Amino acid sequence: MSLTQKLTEALNSGINQIGQIRILQNPLRLHHIDDSDLGALEVHTNPGDAREISLYADDGEYRFTKGELTLKRGWIFQLESIDDLRRTIDLFYPASLGLWQATESGHIRIQHLREKLDRQSGMYRHARNLSDQGAQELVQCLCGPSNKCVKKILWNIDETLPLQDSEASRFNGIVGEADESTAIPMVCQEACNFFVAEARKKSKAEFEAKPA
Amino acid sequence: MAQVKLRSRMNFPPKPDSALLIVGHGSTENPDSSTPYFDHAREIRNRKVFGEVHCCFWKEEPSMREALYMIDAEEIYVVPDFISEGYFTQEVIPRELELTGPTSRVHGKTIHYCDPVGVHPSMTSLILQRTDEVAPGVPQEESALFIVGHGTGLNKNSTKSIKDQVTHIKTLPNCRFAEVFDTYMEEAPFIADWAKMAGSPNVIVVPFFIADGLHSYQDIPVMLGFEKEEGQAASQKDVFRNNPYSLHGKTLYYSAAIGTEPMMADVILDQISTFDSQHVAHPETH
Repeated sequence: MSLTQKLTEALNSGINQIGQIRILQNPLRLHHIDDSDLGALEVHTNPGDAREISLYADDGEYRFTKGELTLKRGWIFQLESIDDLRRTIDLFYPASLGLWQATESGHIRIQHLREKLDRQSGMYRHARNLSDQGAQELVQCLCGPSNKCVKKILWNIDETLPLQDSEASRFNGIVGEADESTAIPMVCQEACNFFVAEARKKSKAEFEAKPA
Repeated sequence: MAQVKLRSRMNFPPKPDSALLIVGHGSTENPDSSTPYFDHAREIRNRKVFGEVHCCFWKEEPSMREALYMIDAEEIYVVPDFISEGYFTQEVIPRELELTGPTSRVHGKTIHYCDPVGVHPSMTSLILQRTDEVAPGVPQEESALFIVGHGTGLNKNSTKSIKDQVTHIKTLPNCRFAEVFDTYMEEAPFIADWAKMAGSPNVIVVPFFIADGLHSYQDIPVMLGFEKEEGQAASQKDVFRNNPYSLHGKTLYYSAAIGTEPMMADVILDQISTFDSQHVAHPETH
């Protein structure tokens, strides 16, 4: 089944949210879940505009990880087709639909943190020296809604070592109070490159903190 | 002027059942750095020559591994939107996409891995077009063309594509540039020495990068001598609007990064055509 077909089925079954985005049908529209006065919103019809809207948070910070809970408000997309809807969502939340489909179908290829860190090369190869405890601490200070990430973590430290219980490890990938039957969860199949960069820094700090 | 013609605008055979995946570097600091990739993708999407067109990145989202989940098509052409062969094209991209050769079977999909755009001969046409745009009416016979790359002592391949372009331009039958130089930010010949190298009254400088960013906004202008070290950096595009600059008794014209040229979409398609002619017509076993 194509992603477009999967999305069509999901909408027909009552799905109306992904991340911080509300999906409306008849006609197809998208807006921020915290916006309610739809007539006051800036209208967009080109899926490509989603990239521009998602570039910066309100405070001017560049959102290089799109799963950040900092999506700007004030816009509404009026779209002509499910294909356009798919493109728009993929610009707001890259690969989110595909990862969701793969998770639902059981075809997701989860990359545990050790696999991700061990395959780093160049300046990031030192990230692999991060301790297990250091990795657990990083998850709790970088991931989950309290750290502005909207994704459900699918990976563990390695195949045998799960994440320690925390808000980040428990988060289901659905923003707000939406029911799981009405929202597409955002999933994290492998640690992002921001996490890897922070793992490199923490690994270095651990090394420097060791007694000589 | 004789130029290497871009073939694909008219001749690219549509691949409605295939996907194109453009791989870029991306940045955690400067959103301008990924803009050209989306521009190239949009241009190719508008031509309707691929069933799907997507971008993925090393430093931004979607990552290369995530990107495969976005694609319905069974056959994927991967084009590194990179300016040269090197660490990313030879190590990082094959590793992240789990490639085993020019054509790989990966998780049920067939992936064709093309050469980076910057090494394609049709880049020559873009450079020459860019010189016409940035210095209109300036006689080539009285001009020195400088192509500027990053350069690094770590990888000789990183300068090869620029050296090849210079050689190619010099040998074009109708090339009238008095001088053509390959120069670099971090290895000799240094762009900072341009005034010593150029014997012509006019100088045209083209940064051989995919995207504009710190290097083209600030670093190279500082090396050329018309910006100060402490100037603003990101998104400061005025450096391209104030041509020409009068420096060292010469008239200097400064171009935006070559990758911002809209015709880069044609180079991407040319790179795919080249791949097909070298590999798909003669399948290899890996």
